[in-house]
Amino acid sequence: MSGALLRLEGLGVRRGGRAVLEGVSLSVAPGEVLGLIGPNGAGKTTLLQAALGLVPATGTSSLASLTPGARARAAAYLPQAREIAWPLAVADVVALGRLPWGRLDAGGAVGRALAAMDLGPLAARPATALSGGEQARVLIARALAQEAPLILADEPVSGLDPAAQIRAMLVFAGRAAAGHAVVASVHDLGLAARHCTRLVLLHLGRVVADGPPAEVLTPDRVAAVFGLRGRLEDGPEGAVFTTLGLAGGGAAPPW
Amino acid sequence: MRGLLAALAGLVAVLFVASLLIGPAPAGPGESLRALATGEGAMGIVMREIRLPRALLAVLVGAALGLGGAAFQGWLRNPLAEPGLIGISPAAALGAVVALQTGLAALHPLVLPGAALAFAAVAGALILALAGRGGATLALILAGIAVSALAGALTSLALSLSPNPFAAAEAVFWMLGSLADRSMLHVWIAAPFVLAGAALVLRLGPALDALSLGEAAAAALGVRLGAVRLQLVVGTAAMVGAAVAVAGAVGFVGLVVPHLLRGAVGARPGRLLPASALGGAAMVLAADIAVRVIAPERDLKLGVLTALVGAPFFLDLIRRNRGAAG
Repeated sequence: MSGALLRLEGLGVRRGGRAVLEGVSLSVAPGEVLGLIGPNGAGKTTLLQAALGLVPATGTSSLASLTPGARARAAAYLPQAREIAWPLAVADVVALGRLPWGRLDAGGAVGRALAAMDLGPLAARPATALSGGEQARVLIARALAQEAPLILADEPVSGLDPAAQIRAMLVFAGRAAAGHAVVASVHDLGLAARHCTRLVLLHLGRVVADGPPAEVLTPDRVAAVFGLRGRLEDGPEGAVFTTLGLAGGGAAPPW
Repeated sequence: MRGLLAALAGLVAVLFVASLLIGPAPAGPGESLRALATGEGAMGIVMREIRLPRALLAVLVGAALGLGGAAFQGWLRNPLAEPGLIGISPAAALGAVVALQTGLAALHPLVLPGAALAFAAVAGALILALAGRGGATLALILAGIAVSALAGALTSLALSLSPNPFAAAEAVFWMLGSLADRSMLHVWIAAPFVLAGAALVLRLGPALDALSLGEAAAAALGVRLGAVRLQLVVGTAAMVGAAVAVAGAVGFVGLVVPHLLRGAVGARPGRLLPASALGGAAMVLAADIAVRVIAPERDLKLGVLTALVGAPFFLDLIRRNRGAAG
């Protein structure tokens, strides 16, 4: 795959003497919306950071070998922690996405990103005065405004209202359809099954499954990795994943 | 934005001229400026040897403190940060006190500022070495606090080991900060360090803007965190070290000025840098004029005045911000 936007080979990260990520090899091609799924502590965040070269890692990543400036033009990163330090106007926060391009916004990327995340009416408001979900949308728009071929987003839709979650996933799908690609860690298996073209299931730092949602979200695997009973069906508008309950019966956990 | 910078530059220019015209020597504005231009007569000496260096130093010291404060606040994403936090100014003060206490300062006018600058440089190098490689912020702050505490303790030690009470009093007065009785020599000492440091720090604008989103996001936006930290510490040590070397400890400018101007630049840390440099110059010029107008006969200290005016003002600002936030 010479046109891949990201290539990882044998990527591993050790922290505190433990391997938190081990032997991850995958590549991301244009047109893909890759959902990174796995329970808490599976290594999703570490995988994204190691792919960018933000944490020391073994193995190779095509992004980590670039200079910081070239990497910022190749991939936009949306960290899990939503940090906006100063009462910057929403439009100014989104415009930070243009920094890797010397602040140039000839194509109107900032305006497009604001519109995509439905932030037009909030553009002049101080971002720190917005709700947590609104701030999350501002930061997604910031990553979009970077207009890099690849977006690496760490739990981009957690904390968003349901409509905004779907909107964000559709925007990602739109970027992919335009020849870009998105790698997003997602906890909501329903959203992942419906909106991702491909899922990578991480468990204890290793890739357990990698493929289309229907191949990854099998009942056995969902039970073994997430401890859940669930069902994946083909609905009239696409795949529907329904969570039925905890694996091993519906008993309440001891407390 | 251009309007704000132009307005601040205009304010600095007006205060600069006012600073040149105010003093005990009896001369009208026209006469004073003519004397400055020609350098003739007693008034020419007053203008060229006393008032001009004083006004120039106020600009240099104020710009260094304002810019240093804005840069540190942007870098740490904390409105309470200032260069004193990481021990640069306490170390420079220690150097000056050591020079005064050992009597070396009396040998040559360059000894005191030289010692202050040297100690600021040692502090900067020590902090960077202690903080280790990479761009970690917390390690640098902890190292800075340790250096700051050490410099403070050593300053107290030097004062308590003072050979005579006059030497101790001289050192204490020096630490209160003042621009009185400075010469063009002080300007030539401070200017290169302030200008070189400012050139380094002013270039950090885009990196500080990116850091508004946190360190990970900034790194992914192409910011080299380690290089930014190095540039910031070296630039600030040069600027603020030079400011303390020629003026003593002038407090609150680095804290208050960025805070005052943040709203006017839309809270953008990069744009705050040039604005705070001009704002700091204006504040120190105004304070130094006030020192001369309020008590012309007494040697009211500049650092005392900036803190006296700055602290209540700062408290009011905190009170109003609290109202806005909650």
